[in-house]
Amino acid sequence: MTPVAYHRPADLAAVLALLAADEEARPLAGGQTLVPMLNLELLAPTAIVSLIDVAELRGIRRLDDGTVRIGAMETHARIAASDAFRDGQALIPDTARQIASPAIRNFGTIGGACAHGDPASDWPAALVGAGATIEIAGRDGIRNVAAEDFFLQFLTTALEPGELVTAIIVPPLPGRGRYYRFARVDSDYPILSIACVADIAGGLCRFVRLAAGACGPTPVRVATAEALLAGRPRDAARVRQAGTMLAEAAEPIDDVRGSADYRRRILPGLIARVLDEVAGP
Amino acid sequence: MTDMTVVGQSAPRLEGHEKITGRTVYVDDMQRSGMLHAAVLRSPYAHARLVSVDVTAARALPGVHGVLTGADFPHRYGAFVQDEVALAQGKVRYVGEPVAVVAADTLALARQALGLIAIDYQELPAVMTPVEALAPDAPLVHDDFAAYGRRVAVPLPANVCAATTIAEGDVEAAFAGCDVVIEGTYETQAQVHCYLEPCGALAEADAAGKVTVWSSCQSVFRVQATVAEVLGMPMSRVRAIATRVGGAFGGKSDVTVQPLAALLAVRTRRPVKLVLSRDDDFMMMRTRHPATIWMKTGAMADGRLVARAARVTLDGGAYAEDSSAVLGFALLIARGPYRIDHIRMEGQVAYTNRLRAAGFRGYGNPQVTFAGECQVDEIAARLGRDPIDLRLQNAVRAGDRWVGGQAIEACGFAECLEKLRDALPPRMPGRGIGVACVTHISGILSTSAIVRVLEDGTVTLNTGAVDLGEGADTVLAQICAETLKIPLDRINYTVPDTDGSPYNWSTGGSRVTYMVGRAVAGAAGQARDRLFQHAAEMLECATGDLELRVGGRVGIVGVPGAEVPFRDISGRAHWVAGGPIIGTTSVMFEGGGFDPKRSAVTGNGIGKLGTFVFGAQAAEVEVDDVTGQIAVRRIWAAHDVGRAINPTAVEGQIAGGIVQGLGYALYEDLRFDGSNPANPTLMDYKVPGALDVPEITPIIVEHPEPSGPFGAKGIGEPPLVPVAPAIANAVADARGVRMRALPMTPERVLAALDGGSIKPSSRA
Amino acid sequence: MITTTLTVNDRVHAVTVEATATVLDVLRDHLGLTGAKRGCNYGVCGTCSVLIDGRLARACLSLAANCAGRAVTTIEAIGQGEALDPLQRRLVETGAVQCGFCSPAMVLAIKALLAVNPHPTAAEIGAAISGNICRCSGYGAIVEAVMRATGGAAP
Repeated sequence: MTPVAYHRPADLAAVLALLAADEEARPLAGGQTLVPMLNLELLAPTAIVSLIDVAELRGIRRLDDGTVRIGAMETHARIAASDAFRDGQALIPDTARQIASPAIRNFGTIGGACAHGDPASDWPAALVGAGATIEIAGRDGIRNVAAEDFFLQFLTTALEPGELVTAIIVPPLPGRGRYYRFARVDSDYPILSIACVADIAGGLCRFVRLAAGACGPTPVRVATAEALLAGRPRDAARVRQAGTMLAEAAEPIDDVRGSADYRRRILPGLIARVLDEVAGP
Repeated sequence: MTDMTVVGQSAPRLEGHEKITGRTVYVDDMQRSGMLHAAVLRSPYAHARLVSVDVTAARALPGVHGVLTGADFPHRYGAFVQDEVALAQGKVRYVGEPVAVVAADTLALARQALGLIAIDYQELPAVMTPVEALAPDAPLVHDDFAAYGRRVAVPLPANVCAATTIAEGDVEAAFAGCDVVIEGTYETQAQVHCYLEPCGALAEADAAGKVTVWSSCQSVFRVQATVAEVLGMPMSRVRAIATRVGGAFGGKSDVTVQPLAALLAVRTRRPVKLVLSRDDDFMMMRTRHPATIWMKTGAMADGRLVARAARVTLDGGAYAEDSSAVLGFALLIARGPYRIDHIRMEGQVAYTNRLRAAGFRGYGNPQVTFAGECQVDEIAARLGRDPIDLRLQNAVRAGDRWVGGQAIEACGFAECLEKLRDALPPRMPGRGIGVACVTHISGILSTSAIVRVLEDGTVTLNTGAVDLGEGADTVLAQICAETLKIPLDRINYTVPDTDGSPYNWSTGGSRVTYMVGRAVAGAAGQARDRLFQHAAEMLECATGDLELRVGGRVGIVGVPGAEVPFRDISGRAHWVAGGPIIGTTSVMFEGGGFDPKRSAVTGNGIGKLGTFVFGAQAAEVEVDDVTGQIAVRRIWAAHDVGRAINPTAVEGQIAGGIVQGLGYALYEDLRFDGSNPANPTLMDYKVPGALDVPEITPIIVEHPEPSGPFGAKGIGEPPLVPVAPAIANAVADARGVRMRALPMTPERVLAALDGGSIKPSSRA
Repeated sequence: MITTTLTVNDRVHAVTVEATATVLDVLRDHLGLTGAKRGCNYGVCGTCSVLIDGRLARACLSLAANCAGRAVTTIEAIGQGEALDPLQRRLVETGAVQCGFCSPAMVLAIKALLAVNPHPTAAEIGAAISGNICRCSGYGAIVEAVMRATGGAAP
């Protein structure tokens, strides 16, 4: 049992220096995933680098161009309560309010969840659905990676050793946003989730982005399926077809929440349901 | 009974204050001077020979004070089959089976030492389901089964630890004459108890070697007896004390980790605390018996149910524990609360290389009632009858006899159905309503109570009954207080402790209110008689002229001022004449059993069980077309409790049982991936949360049980039992599909709605 | 080992612990405050609930070192002595307490809700305790008790 060091740097530069100096050091954001892994002895870092005092990682700011920048240390609860999100960006707080339960939302952070990269969790699908960008800091400075390119595999992201997620950038999005979470019980991980941003009015689907979560190692988004819907009247057969395209692109697994076949089977129907909800009455 | 002041009141529980302020002491909250911490090593194999076990390095780790392996526990034990050992010997029989245990200065050190234990395993082929276990030439889970001591020593096939048949009438002839016959096979799963407090014990040995074991348990006496048996000590040298119990539901009925803690304490001469992690608890402990049930029920065109046959195969896991009794009870109760003259119920329990199955709220009843109540509904549908009408037509009534011949003394079953019908709303569009019923027993074996009147007139009530959270302490104190006409706050209810408490078999079998309550009423009645004898001398009258007056006084009937308070009477008894006032009563449930002229029974492991309790529930559901998910909107539950000693506590048992039954019906399922549990965590094994529960309407029905305390009988188990079939029947009502496997996952429901076009991911 | 100061129920404690020690470890093993329970130690059961700076938290998921400078409130600060907090009294009276293992955590989860929403609906109460498992009560009595304690109609 090697003792673990604990660091509590005050700024991002100090965080990056500590991470650069020790590849086995782990950044600690909200701790809602890292600490249970420590408790279960699934991880044995040499050092814990707490991000709690780093002001640069805080804040939910709406920029002049309508973009919203979410500091990596912002909690699900604060995101859920934020009024920075407009129109289709509502997908983001709609996701945040449904994650886990109140205590987890109070401390769990969007940056921590992204860095963990669990495809069964809620943020990956939501951020892909929103077309968000992940801002990453490393020794060589800041780089931005589209959410679609950030989540690479099960628990694997584009983060390189020594890098840290510093912010999530959500572009302006038209219409409405909705995160639909289908789970066995309320507090479970989803069997399947759908992130949707769509601008549907008068029967015309002007804009749509769809991503499905918990049905593969990374979120599933199919540009051709969206192209099938965008700019055309909303039509049940086309919605079905688009859903089927996502189902075909999905690579779900069999697990205790459901079989791969089942997940594929229900995906088109849930997409149709979410589009109905977003379209409104 | 109209003048009762305590019984029938929803008295807040006695220990409510300590629980709501966090001051309750559960076993993990205890500290003893010099206490060591223990951790258990689990088998990584489902079936393997232990070629060698080397604990040298673990013993050598500084801070480690004791390491035990199977060799330290030579004594086999088991209530029905002596197949159990405290730590694996010779071979391991399931993934998670305890193999070694370490006591060290800290828990971290103990866990570190586990990693230093070197075990050479030779893996053996495993049997993971009864089908595999019962196949010809299957590997044997217990090679030496024939040499084990057994309570029911009938010959059994390989890998079978119990087999029972109960038959009455001529079932084949009866089926031949039926107008409607329903036949089906039902599958039920391994539900995990998921008490919130993991199992744990703290043991310490005194200079003379007597061991005291504090533990989270359902019976201090069963702990005492088993620890003594495992350690090869006389019971007089084992003292078992119950801490507060953070839920049990049957899972803490037998010993859990007490023998390990006890022997570590003896060997290290230090107090040893052993509390399982949630992981350990999931992997090492117990589940409800998974079951495969073939059942057939026949009826006449006029609705009369006349015949039922069933073949039940239970998955008992690696050790028999209570499996014989679970099977026997399942077969006894499988007829359901109906007048069915012709039955044949056969069953067996298979050994498999999984963690053991055990008693769990309902004790075999939820499995068979799922099958039986679904079939009654199918018959109603086939005959075009209202499901409640059909059940009422066939309902057992007071004076009827149960399977085996035991008379049903009091029966509020028909009233449960009628009240349920009155409560049900009209069917809403898109929703379905389903009904299901339950019979259970309340009783089992023996118990006792001591009531002592203290010098100041307050009363100490001493029983061996452990309150698992259901409120037994409060209910028993209410029975005592009512019998003596004193306020509840004058009763001191003591913690079960084998050194001082009178014997009680266990908190299980929905028996404490009924059985221990009888003992308490008897003991309190004796104390009252002694109070009367003193009072007659003090007031110079005959005892027959005396009455109890509310508040702890004895007075002369019709003479308002002529009375003496308990304080004066007890003071006299302690200091002047007669000696302290103590009432004691022992009781045994002696009804029931099987009348050989009526029933043909083989291989039965159960004896005289108890009095009968009844209930009827209805569930209202919606089914999601896209996902198949069942949303249960409302549940109505009418239960005959004889008399509600504490209505709030009764409603608590109803609501809590229903939600546990909801988990059984819809979510909970410990699955296996090969030989490993696939979801042995609270992340992956989900129990209902606050947002998952329907609106529940409890309806209390009171048909006083003549032998019960103030007419009361049990309610602990029954509310769980009909939930799954009520939901299945509601799904059939809503969507016309029949669910025959639990849990009714969205995937299974959708497959049923699709006509089976998707293969559901069935239980491994 | 590191030494950190933790403010628990308005008292400042200096404790020397491993960097990986959680608030739950410190409360139970160092400070003798056992009202927070270890039901799973991985953040699912909710029995270790405390308030950190007034917000509902999992003590088992909060590293003690990270809580230096923050205020931890445990059940031991609520309704001690003769008089229970009215919420606690209602919970006992309504039959919301059975085995009690979840009860201290439930009190804190509800306290956190009432601090921002003094008159919650039944649905809001359910959401507030949605991360706190109760295996005994079926939850209805808990929701009913909170409704009664806050003057809302029983559901």
